[in-house]
Amino acid sequence: MTGADITPLGDAALVVRSPLARELLADLTARPLSGVREAVPALDVLTVLYDPLTTSAEDLGAGLTARLADLQPARAGDASTHVLPVTFGGPDLAWCAAHAGLSVTDFVRAMCEANLTVAFLGFTPGFAFLTGLPKPLRMPRLDAPRERVPAGSVALGGPWAGVYPRETPGGWRIVGRTEAVLFNLQRPEPLLWRAGDRVRFEVQR
Amino acid sequence: MIEVRRPGLQSTVQDTGRRARALGVPGGGAADLTALRLANALVGNPPRAAALEITLAGPTLLFQADALVALCGAPFEATLDGQPFPLWRAVPVRKGQVLRVGGTARGARAVLAVRGGLKGQAAFGSLSTDLRSGFGGMEGRALRVGDRLTWSFLPPAAPPRAFLSPDLQTPTGPQVTLRVLLTPEATPDLLAVLTRPFTVSGQADRMGVRLSETLPTRHDPGRVSLPNVPGAVQLPPDGRPILLLPDAGTHGGYPTPLVVTSADLPILGQLRPGDRVRWQAVSGEAARAALGQQEGRLRQAEAALRWWYAGPGSRARLPHDGPGQSVEQWASAGRDPRPGQGGSHEPAEPDASPPPA
Repeated sequence: MTGADITPLGDAALVVRSPLARELLADLTARPLSGVREAVPALDVLTVLYDPLTTSAEDLGAGLTARLADLQPARAGDASTHVLPVTFGGPDLAWCAAHAGLSVTDFVRAMCEANLTVAFLGFTPGFAFLTGLPKPLRMPRLDAPRERVPAGSVALGGPWAGVYPRETPGGWRIVGRTEAVLFNLQRPEPLLWRAGDRVRFEVQR
Repeated sequence: MIEVRRPGLQSTVQDTGRRARALGVPGGGAADLTALRLANALVGNPPRAAALEITLAGPTLLFQADALVALCGAPFEATLDGQPFPLWRAVPVRKGQVLRVGGTARGARAVLAVRGGLKGQAAFGSLSTDLRSGFGGMEGRALRVGDRLTWSFLPPAAPPRAFLSPDLQTPTGPQVTLRVLLTPEATPDLLAVLTRPFTVSGQADRMGVRLSETLPTRHDPGRVSLPNVPGAVQLPPDGRPILLLPDAGTHGGYPTPLVVTSADLPILGQLRPGDRVRWQAVSGEAARAALGQQEGRLRQAEAALRWWYAGPGSRARLPHDGPGQSVEQWASAGRDPRPGQGGSHEPAEPDASPPPA
């Protein structure tokens, strides 16, 4: 295999590391490869889960390599933009502002000026890993995760920003809260966002 | 309809799960998929039909209609109107009868399939209950007293008196061996301690099973979150491994040095606190051979039972039809592995029609 970095993860998945991971997912959705059960994206990563009785790691790896060779980077033209109203004031807001070397007011302004992108969905239904945080806003995760993070919490962890769709455990630092409904099975589109969408925070008034 | 008299510890509607991980939605589905497939096959259901997954302490169920059911999985004690109720068989239940599923000395879960397949609320193409997210199955939650379970109609059929071969059953503790594949995150110091047995801790649910002892881990705060796969063994900073089960989150940031082989995934669904786990590192080739062998046996049993339910007309046309090729012998070891239950040690005859001649 040339060009692509493809490694097995157990006997039923391959991890494909490529800047074209998102394009590969779209391609596999449009033209399924034999034996592929589903493909799960992360940042510049696509994990392809397959049926080991239908295909082998070698054959599937070769198929994926061939697909990648033909792909072009997609233009980010048709992505939606979501503006989320946030009440800033989470339990870690002051800590994060101090860590960033900013006043709370300036920290909130910097949060709202950040142009974020949905890198991928995961963790729990409706949760989006938001990329594009300027360096000072990148926060170390908590040493011990909280057992309960309230639904709607806006949080920072490593290079990511995120919003917890419902109460779950979580190890990111909470700086605010939004009323936006990220996940609702009653809607025709249960999830608020898709990979590639743009996101901005604004102060809730 | 089934009325729930006692819900049991955690009884949930499960099918074979969903494929929406790209949306952050866990796979879900029965924790012991082998038990689900065999229970469905025994009552003539399609393999994906929804059934009731029972955990550690079972429910008491009042049947408000005649039904054909099968209970497969860990060796739970069960009674029907006070009489012993056999596992691994299709059993007719009459309107007004009460099925009481008790506890199990080994393993953790069983599956109760009803001919026709349980109804429930679908989410992302599956009826499986996701307790964490609160959707699927019975309002996204475990059964409660007074719940009413319904099932889809399938024409009544005579149950095959097949005894499934005990080799088809998912192994249960107290000692189990898990075949695992190494990932690039496996370190030499980790491999050195894999020969030790590990103990299942009290933290064991449908998301994952935590082990008590530690494996060497290198905490990397900068590690990015990557998609999880079923059976992934995650190492959080404290080093106590987490074996991922069907309801695990779709992505995780912890190192994953080991992945349990596909063939051994059903074993994870049977782990209970106190069980001892041994690891056996295997090659990809060995993992595939084990899965192929296991799947071959399962499909043979499923095909034999499907053939039975297809009815005498279809049976007569099958090429393997003939003396000595009854469905019981195909699907079974020809003997009842549980003395005193069912009572028959000779190859069983079909109830409703003569064996194909």
